[in-house]
Amino acid sequence: GVRQAQWLTKTKLVEGLPPQVLSIMDNPAHQLENQEERVMHAISHARLWNTTEVAPRRQYYCPVLFEDLMHLCRLMSAKYPSLTKRMLARNYKIAATWERESILLQVRGLNGMLMNSVAPIPPVASKEEILATEEHVLETFYPISPTIDLQEVNVYKELNDMGFRDGYPYSHPHTLFFLESANIRPDRFRPEQLRAKMLMFAFGNALAKAKVLYGNDPKVLEQPIVVQSVGTDGQLFQFMVFQLNTTDLVSSDGIKNLVWIDSDQNLYEKAQCVPEIKKRVVTKPAGIYGFQPDTFKKFLALYLHGTV
Amino acid sequence: EPAAGAAPNLDLGELRSLACDALLQESFYQHKKRPFLYRDHDHTPGPFLTQLVSSLSSSLCGRNPLLTASSPDIKPEVNYYWHHGEEVVVHGYRKGRVDPVRFQIDDKPHLQIRIPKQLPEIVPLESDLGDVPVINHKPSKLPLFKKQYENKVFIGSKVADRCCYGHTQFHLIPDKLKRERFVRARLEDQIEVVYRANGIASLFAWTAAQAMYQGFWSEADVTRPFVSQAVVTDGKYFAFFCYQLNTLALSVETIQNNPRKNICWGTDSKPLYDVVEDGNVKGFNDEVLLHLVRFLLNRPKEV
Repeated sequence: GVRQAQWLTKTKLVEGLPPQVLSIMDNPAHQLENQEERVMHAISHARLWNTTEVAPRRQYYCPVLFEDLMHLCRLMSAKYPSLTKRMLARNYKIAATWERESILLQVRGLNGMLMNSVAPIPPVASKEEILATEEHVLETFYPISPTIDLQEVNVYKELNDMGFRDGYPYSHPHTLFFLESANIRPDRFRPEQLRAKMLMFAFGNALAKAKVLYGNDPKVLEQPIVVQSVGTDGQLFQFMVFQLNTTDLVSSDGIKNLVWIDSDQNLYEKAQCVPEIKKRVVTKPAGIYGFQPDTFKKFLALYLHGTV
Repeated sequence: EPAAGAAPNLDLGELRSLACDALLQESFYQHKKRPFLYRDHDHTPGPFLTQLVSSLSSSLCGRNPLLTASSPDIKPEVNYYWHHGEEVVVHGYRKGRVDPVRFQIDDKPHLQIRIPKQLPEIVPLESDLGDVPVINHKPSKLPLFKKQYENKVFIGSKVADRCCYGHTQFHLIPDKLKRERFVRARLEDQIEVVYRANGIASLFAWTAAQAMYQGFWSEADVTRPFVSQAVVTDGKYFAFFCYQLNTLALSVETIQNNPRKNICWGTDSKPLYDVVEDGNVKGFNDEVLLHLVRFLLNRPKEV
């Protein structure tokens, strides 16, 4: 789970989202018109109206919900024109390599969707917080090896690749999106594992970018690199902000990286596709129940982070 | 073809750079594996079209408030079912009886934008527009309409959705119908036919389904025209179509006294750019981009 990912990426965990993102969220200027109504419309479209059958299945409604929420976020570019300098890359491939206490680790392959931007996100933690991580001791799981459940492969190339060629104008990874849209439950990641996957890939992207910017030598970064990550299964959202402070990952001492996680945020409680009828009386009409507007506000705040 | 939507003070340079960035990302900068067999259209033109439409519509939403209220769909289903003409049942226990010929279109546009208000009409409802060619044999003799599964009518979302009118559809020509194949088979005159057929059929199905959602059908004909637009492309060549539905009364009883006709305006396919080389787009055609922008900016006068 997340604790294993923390050890592998030499990261300290902070619960909740960082104060910058929370302040973006609370600022009323960063809201769309009729925001709640629009988000309800998007959820209803994805969960209720999307198909000729009675109820759409998760593999359809999860991407549709994501696209609708992204469309709503993109509408903010009327207010903040620099938001148009973002590009969404689907099916992109990442490769990053690092060594952790004499174990060589790699992150590779297709994972989710990446939103790139022209400008990087400014560092979230202050210098004092970064230095304070030096005293933090990483949890170990003795006697379980930290590489348990990881795939052991013989890969001969130690590759570090951002997924794009040089000269790409949108060169800073901004946010990764993970959609768990498999129909049956065993095919989907549990929330804990989804958070661990988000952490590993955010780390992989940040590390590959660091190696491109600052070279392959392990060192503490002057300008920490921030990559965000959002994971969802169509109803439950996980938000994460990851800051890479150091590429010196061989030892377990020294400055650590930081991650802020806000987990298990429900966007709505239940989507009733057909009305529930007991003894010929409608007890629960069709619709969306238990809508939480804060979850979309966090999604929008992460989208706007770095530009406002 | 009528001009769709005024375009005052457009920053064409910025829109051009958005389009070029989307094109370069998909075709040049992003590392991708080789495309699957006959799936070239999913590899580059598909993502390019999605990216182009999302960036253009987000930067134009300040000018067209209808776009802010719109609902985009990615690969939605559009279905329409109707009766037209008659035939005699050939075999079976109903042999000899007269039946209406049933048609069903099941379409999957690549991208579609639906809006809460209707686009304005282009010509008045009852205008006389010329004649429609008549084909006398059964439609299943042509390589269309052979199999019919479920009779469905669907615009991309159910009736409860308030975005129940259509704005623009974007269609991608599949790999098996690409231009090089036609040129190799020396059938260049058929290239435009593919675009036109796609435009007319898809737009008819969409507008007719929208009309049916509002309660009109072949016995109760439309009281106002339904207008929608479509862009058919293979990633490089774009053809633009505009459709006005004036009548739904196509079944045998209702077509006899029906002078109204539906009409589709369309352009030939034009290239958006010449070639992508070394991170540069050569020969970018501003006219095609402007056309696309005008389509996205189209809206009723009162908005």
